Amino acid sequence: MREAPNALALAERACLLAEGDEADAVVTAERSGLARFADSAVHQPTLVEDRSVGVRVVRDGRIGCATTNRVDDAGLRALVARAAEIADRAPVDPGFPGLPDRAAPPDVEGWDEETAAHGPADQAERAWAAIEAAGDLGLYGYYTSGETELAVASTRGVAVSQAITDVAVLALAAGDGRSGYADASSWRAGDIDPAAVARDAAEKAARTERAGEVEPQTFRAVLEPYAFAELLWYFGYSSLGALGLLEERSYLSGRMGEQAFDEAFSLYDDGLDPAGLPKAFDFEGVPKRCVPIVKNGVVTDVVWDCRTAARAGRESTGHALPPPAQAHGPQAFNLSVAPGDASVEELVSRVGDGIYVTRLHYLNIVDPREGLITGMTRDGTFRIENGRVTEPLVNLRFTTSFPALVASLLGLGAHARLVNQNDFYGERYPYGVVVPAVATEAFTVTGSGSGPGL
Amino acid sequence: MREVCERAVETALAAGAEYADARVVVRRDQFVSTKNGEIDSAADSETEGLGVRVIVGGAWGFAGEPELADRGAEGAARRAVEFARASAARTRRPVALADRPAEQGECETPFERDPIEVPLEEKIELLLRAEAAARHEDVKIVETAVRAMREQRAFRSSDGADVVQTFVETGAGIDAYAQGDGRVQIRSYPSAHSGSSAAAGWEYVERLGLEREAPRVAEEAAALLHADPCPATVTTVVIDPEQTALQVHESVGHPTELDRIYGTEAAYAGTSFLSPDDLGSLRYGSEHMNITADATTPQGLGTYAWDDEGVRGERSPVVRAGILEGFLTSRETAALLGEGHGGSMRADGWSRMPLVRMTNLHLEPGEGSLDDLLADVDEGIYLATNKSWSIDDKRLNFQFGTQIAWEIRNGKLGRMLRDATYMGKTPEFWSSLDAVAGPEAWKMHGLTNCGKGQPGQSAHVSHGASPARFRNVRVGVRQ
Repeated sequence: MREAPNALALAERACLLAEGDEADAVVTAERSGLARFADSAVHQPTLVEDRSVGVRVVRDGRIGCATTNRVDDAGLRALVARAAEIADRAPVDPGFPGLPDRAAPPDVEGWDEETAAHGPADQAERAWAAIEAAGDLGLYGYYTSGETELAVASTRGVAVSQAITDVAVLALAAGDGRSGYADASSWRAGDIDPAAVARDAAEKAARTERAGEVEPQTFRAVLEPYAFAELLWYFGYSSLGALGLLEERSYLSGRMGEQAFDEAFSLYDDGLDPAGLPKAFDFEGVPKRCVPIVKNGVVTDVVWDCRTAARAGRESTGHALPPPAQAHGPQAFNLSVAPGDASVEELVSRVGDGIYVTRLHYLNIVDPREGLITGMTRDGTFRIENGRVTEPLVNLRFTTSFPALVASLLGLGAHARLVNQNDFYGERYPYGVVVPAVATEAFTVTGSGSGPGL
Repeated sequence: MREVCERAVETALAAGAEYADARVVVRRDQFVSTKNGEIDSAADSETEGLGVRVIVGGAWGFAGEPELADRGAEGAARRAVEFARASAARTRRPVALADRPAEQGECETPFERDPIEVPLEEKIELLLRAEAAARHEDVKIVETAVRAMREQRAFRSSDGADVVQTFVETGAGIDAYAQGDGRVQIRSYPSAHSGSSAAAGWEYVERLGLEREAPRVAEEAAALLHADPCPATVTTVVIDPEQTALQVHESVGHPTELDRIYGTEAAYAGTSFLSPDDLGSLRYGSEHMNITADATTPQGLGTYAWDDEGVRGERSPVVRAGILEGFLTSRETAALLGEGHGGSMRADGWSRMPLVRMTNLHLEPGEGSLDDLLADVDEGIYLATNKSWSIDDKRLNFQFGTQIAWEIRNGKLGRMLRDATYMGKTPEFWSSLDAVAGPEAWKMHGLTNCGKGQPGQSAHVSHGASPARFRNVRVGVRQ
C-alpha cells in the first residue's frame, strides 16, 4: 500500500479547522481516464482529476456533514463552518455512537505503479487494442484505468490513507442479429489483455445468430460469472447489510443461523483479498475484516458499520459509507463466493436441459424480503440440451428468487473471477465481486424480449 | 466563470483543436432526511470545476478539472487535446456537428423562495410534522426527505456560443413501510424513490402537502399487509400519472434518444428498437398517444434555455397521434440524421461529457377524468406509484411493479391489491392505449436518478401525464 500524504494531510487539516466536540474528515482523490468506444471508434474519452473533502462535525450530540472540492484554506474554512452550522441547527441524534477509535488498518495490496502511471495515451492505446481485435464486428465498451486515494482523519486519532489502482475493460462485440460480451477487471493493468477480452466477446457473438425463443418457465441454468455477479450485487445491496437486517427489510431477517442455501454456497465480504479490489478500511477509518456471511449454506452474519453495530451490541466490520450516506446503512463492497470444483463444461453437463446465460441487463429488486429480482439476459443466451450448449436464444425476461437460485445449486465453477460492478457514477471508488460460474435448478424466466445484436 | 471558459477554449484551439467548448459548473446541494422521528441525514455539498471538450483530427477528447483558474483551464484543455489526438489517426468517421445559431445570454430558474436559504430547522420541522401524521401501529418505519440544489453553468464554444444559466431545484417525499407476518409494504408520496422534485423554489415543497397526505400514505401501507395479491391475468389497466410518467420515460424517452439509435450506448444502457428511417412513419401507439419533448415547461427538471452544446431548448412533438415524429438529438447525431440541430445534450456536472438526455417528456392529456376512464372498464386493475422497473436493452420488453393497485369492477374501484406487476412490449402496449384523462388530471413528476453513460451520469427530468387506460395487459407477473 502506498501512502497518500496529500490526501491524508488534507483530511487532517480539515479536522484541525473543525470546531466541535468531535470531527472526522474523509478525502477522496481521483485521477482517471475512460476511453469509451462504440462501433469501433473512441467516442467518449473522459479524463477526470478531482479531490473532495467531507467533514462531519459533532456538537452536543448533533451532527452536521458538509462536502466540498474547494481545498484551499478558504474552501476548507467555509466547509467546516457549513458543517458546524448544520450541527448547531440539527436535533440531537440519539443513535450516533460516537466516532470510532484509532485502529491500525491491515496491510493490503491494491496499488500498482504501472497502472498509476497510465495516462490518456495508454488508455486510448489499450482501447484501440480491443477494438482492433474484434474482427469484422463492431466493438462497444470502454477501457479505463485510474488511481484513487482515500484518507480518513478524526479528532479521535484516526489517520489512515490508501491509494488504490483499478483497471477495467468491457467489450460488447455486435453486429446485425448477433452480440457477445466479455469484461475483465483488476488493480493491475498488466493482468488485463484488452485484445483477449474483445476476442472472447467476438467469439461469443458469432454463436448468437438466428436466436430462438423459449416458453416462460423455471429453468435449470448455467450463469457465467458476469450474470451471477450482478444478481449477487443486487441481492447484497438489499439484504447483506446490517440495517436491512435490523429493520427486518432483508431476506436474511429472521434467518441468522438457518440453513437457507445450498451446502455448496459460501459467501464472504473480504476487503483484504488481493483477487478483488482490496480495501484496508471504510469511510470512518475502521479496518476492514473478512466477514463470513454464508458458510456452507448457513447464514452466519452481515456487514456492519459503527452505528448499526452499536445498536446491536456488535463491533463494526469496517463497512461504513461516507457520513452523509450512512442513512443507507453499511454496504458489502467486496463480496466473494467460494469456488467449487467444476469446469464450465461440467456445469453445463449437470444442467442437462436448460439455458446458459452470459450477462444480465437492467436489474431491479421486485421484493427485498423475498430476494426477488427481475431483469433481462443479453449478449449470449443459449439453450442447453443433453448437457451441451446448443442454439442461441433471444433475450429473456427473468423474475427470479436469488435465494432459491443458490438454494438449489447443481455446482460451482472451479475458477472465481473479479467482476467489476462499478459504473463510475460520482467519485470513483473501485469495487466488484469475485464469483465463479454457477449451475442452478431454479432460474425463472417470465417472458422474452428482443434478439441479440444492435 | 466566463473568463475561465474563454481561456480553456483558446488554449485548446492553440493546441490544435478544430473545435472546443468549455463548461464551468458550480453546484450546491442540500439533503435532509428523517426516520422515525429522528434526523437521519443532514448534509450540504458543493462542487465546482471545468469540463473541456474538443475535436482533434475528427476525434473527441474531454477533460474535467476542479481548479477554476487559468492554470486549471489550460491544463484541462491540453489534456483533452492529448486524449483526442491519441485516437485521431485511427478514427474512420470524423465527427461533424450540425450548425446552430451562436447564442449568447443569461437565464435563471424563476422561484419565489430560494430553497438553499431556507433554514435547516424549518426543513426538519416540516419533515417531522409529516412523519408524525403518518403514525400507525402497523407502520414500523417512516422516512422523509427534502432536497435543494442551485447550479450555475457557464458555456462557451469556439463557434460562438456564450451562455450562463442558473438552475434551482427542490423536492421532497415521504415513505411509509408497514411490516407484519414477514411482509413489507411501502407507500410513498408524492412519488416513489425519495419523492418528486421541480425546478422551483421552496414554495413547491410547501404546496406538496406532505403532512396532509401522510395519514393516507400510512393507512394504505398498513392496509396492503392484508390485501390480496394481484392476480396473474390479462386485463384492462388504468395507470396513475406517476407510473405513466415512468412508462413514458423508459419506453418512449430512452428509445427516442438518437445516440442510442446510432449505437453509442450499446454496451451499457442499450440501443433502441427504432431506426432513423422510422421517423414520420412508425406507428408507436394508438391515436391517443401524443408525446411532446419540452425544454420550456415551467418547473420542469429538464427545462433550460440552452443545452450543454449551447443549443436553445425547444418544444417539439416526439409522437403525434401514435406516429413517431421526432428524436432527442445532439449536434453530432443531428448531423448524422441530416435533420435538426440538436438541443438535448446535457452533462451531469463538470466532470462528464454531455450526452443526449431527455428534456421534459410529456404524455399530452386527452379528455375526461379518472372516473371517466374507470367507468368504461367492466373488469380491470388500477395501478399506482412505481415500486420496481426494468426494460430490455432495445427498450421493448418491460416489467414494472407498483406499490398499490385496486381491482376495477363495473366501472368502480374495488378491493385493494398488493405486489402488482405488469409487463409488455413497447409498441404493442402503446397501441393498446385507448384513453388518456384530461388536463385537470395531468400531473408532472420530477425524477433525479436517470442513469446513462460510462462513466455514469445521473440526469434530472420531469414527465407530465394524466391517468391512462390500456387494454389487454399482462399483470401479476412474479415467479
